[in-house]
Amino acid sequence: MNIVVAVKQIPDLQQIRIRDRRPVLDYVPCVLGDIDKSALEAAVELKESVQGRVIVVSAGNGEIEDTVKEALAAGGDEAVLVEDDTLADADSSVVAKVLAAAIRKIDDVGVILFGEGSADNYSGRVVSAVAADLGYPQVGYAKQIEVDGPLARVTRSLEDSDEIIEVPLPAVISVVSEIKEPRIPSVTSILKARKKPKAIYRLDDLGIEIPSGKNITTISNLAPVSERKGIVVKSVDELVKILKSERRLER
Amino acid sequence: MEFKLTKEQELIQKTARDFADRSIEPAIDHIMKEHAIPQEILDGMKELDLFCLPISEAYGGAGAGYQSYVLALEQIASVSPGVAIVISVNCFGLAALEMFGSEEVKKRYMPGACTGKNIMSIAMTEPEGADPRLVKTTAVREGDEYVLNGTKRFITACGYEGPLVIFARESDTGQICGFVVEKFCEGYSISEPWDKMGLPGTPMYDVYLKDVRIPVGNMLGELNQGFRILKNSIALGKIGISSIFLGTILAAYEECMKYAGERIYLGKPLTQFQYVQGDIVDIAMKYEAARWLAYRLGYLADMNEDKGNIIKDSALTKMFVTNTAVEVARSAINIHGSYGLMENYKVSRIWRDSIFGPQTEGTNALLRSVVAMDILKRSK
Ligand SMILES: Cc1cc2nc3c(=O)[nH]c(=O)nc-3n(C[C@H](O)[C@H](O)[C@H](O)COP(=O)(O)OP(=O)(O)OC[C@H]3O[C@@H](n4cnc5c(N)ncnc54)[C@H](O)[C@@H]3O)c2cc1C
Repeated sequence: MNIVVAVKQIPDLQQIRIRDRRPVLDYVPCVLGDIDKSALEAAVELKESVQGRVIVVSAGNGEIEDTVKEALAAGGDEAVLVEDDTLADADSSVVAKVLAAAIRKIDDVGVILFGEGSADNYSGRVVSAVAADLGYPQVGYAKQIEVDGPLARVTRSLEDSDEIIEVPLPAVISVVSEIKEPRIPSVTSILKARKKPKAIYRLDDLGIEIPSGKNITTISNLAPVSERKGIVVKSVDELVKILKSERRLER
Repeated sequence: MEFKLTKEQELIQKTARDFADRSIEPAIDHIMKEHAIPQEILDGMKELDLFCLPISEAYGGAGAGYQSYVLALEQIASVSPGVAIVISVNCFGLAALEMFGSEEVKKRYMPGACTGKNIMSIAMTEPEGADPRLVKTTAVREGDEYVLNGTKRFITACGYEGPLVIFARESDTGQICGFVVEKFCEGYSISEPWDKMGLPGTPMYDVYLKDVRIPVGNMLGELNQGFRILKNSIALGKIGISSIFLGTILAAYEECMKYAGERIYLGKPLTQFQYVQGDIVDIAMKYEAARWLAYRLGYLADMNEDKGNIIKDSALTKMFVTNTAVEVARSAINIHGSYGLMENYKVSRIWRDSIFGPQTEGTNALLRSVVAMDILKRSK
């Protein structure tokens, strides 16, 4: 049984500067989001118990082939990629359709892992749409996954409790970052990543209808204005009091 | 000409930084107090193949090349130059074996040092100095063996098990040659560690050789080749030193950016004062100049089969980067005011580490004369 992990290429958030409250993306390299790397780490651990392969799936523009090396260095066995420049700013509904079509190309899929939301837009819409498209059950907020024959037992991290549920496989599972700390890949695994198998599809190869026009319009996406309040406190007690009065300590 | 890292280089750089942040940073106090690198850090570096980055795969290396080596060492040194030194001295030794060792010597000593199970050292300097003309250690041929006697000074990492490349005067020719000795063999002993003012983590000692016997095959290269071996090995060693002090420049730069943003003076952050801005811009400028020079040295090492071709460039780069590291550390202390002189501020540590650069692996004064001879000869 194979484990699929969907990863998304995002701009390196540490290198983004904000100008006029908008992100400046020029010359910012593409990387994988941290939560996707946690999902990958969980997949690599699951692999031991199911004796399958970890297959990384991603859709994006021409840089995706390079970006996915990070996942192949960190334990992915092979990659299935959909490469098209129009995918860089496609709607989540389009991305979901494309990912579902790519996953259909893979044999013997048992578990399909996602990060709970992508580190750049965090719309969190892709996971459900992929599950619906494939007709598989979906589980969110997973912090632990065990595969037991035809079932997966998933511990979900909810606000004030954990919920353990069983789900028949194949299933789509999205994980929270606590599930696993991503590994640091070794130098040799980074160099070997280049040689791992990669299947690269164009949009036309997938045989799906991509709706023309956009379903989603972004009206505004601005960095919050941060203003210092300039309140000087003389003691920790005073600080705590002020934070409490602003209801900042109650979350 | 392309000034862009490959994806692999970016990832190797990130591996080194993530490891340094995750594993070395929390151990800094321990390293400073105990003057030793905790075993878990050595084990972590083994697992990530950091001990053999530029060495070819044929002898157990990672085969990532010198450009990646520079990138990784820079990041590790930005957190702890003392830890980075153990990698650089190991790669220095491995490179000497790779270039000049017999097939048998390579097979016997390189795989263990590539995994980091053994750690190499290089011993050139003697109590009288580091100039090859001053070498008094002798290697006297007796049948199939050489017998070594002498004292070496300031030798890094010679308290770890592993092979040591020692430069000594060969008895038949009177010339300097490199010999491979296993540390802690019969006749090998070391002093107490030198109590140095910075670079905590990798202690250095004096090494005493008393009738140490090694097979004739442990001599590197051919008779009469010794000086070339020395010069080519030292050229590669300078890649390590340049990368390490590039790391201290990066560290100073990062500390100043952080501090100047956080420190409020007369109601506004330091970054809003023009003098501070100017100092930080100068640091940024020097960092850019130093790093591209060091990355280029890695490139030259990868491109030149004969490492003798990079002797001048390695000396120029080492001088520029190490001098710049001292200037930048000084200016970083300035930006921090009196806090910069306090033990618990990282810049005070950076200062004590940076000052080592111009003094080691050939003082910069000595290197100026090496380069002068080279370029003036050409212009004739
Ligand atoms: C932390 C550390 C680690 C070290 N690790 C090692 C090691 O692993 N292996 C090893 O072999 N050595 C090691 N050394 C020794 C170091 O490389 C030498 O001490 C250094 O190269 C200085 O050489 P020196 O002792 O001959 O010069 P010094 O005697 O210290 O220099 C005296 C002065 O003479 C000047 N000078 C010397 N020669 C010339 C010249 N030809 N032209 C102009 N001026 C000159 C110098 O610039 C200096 O001003 C280490 C030193 C330190 C501090």
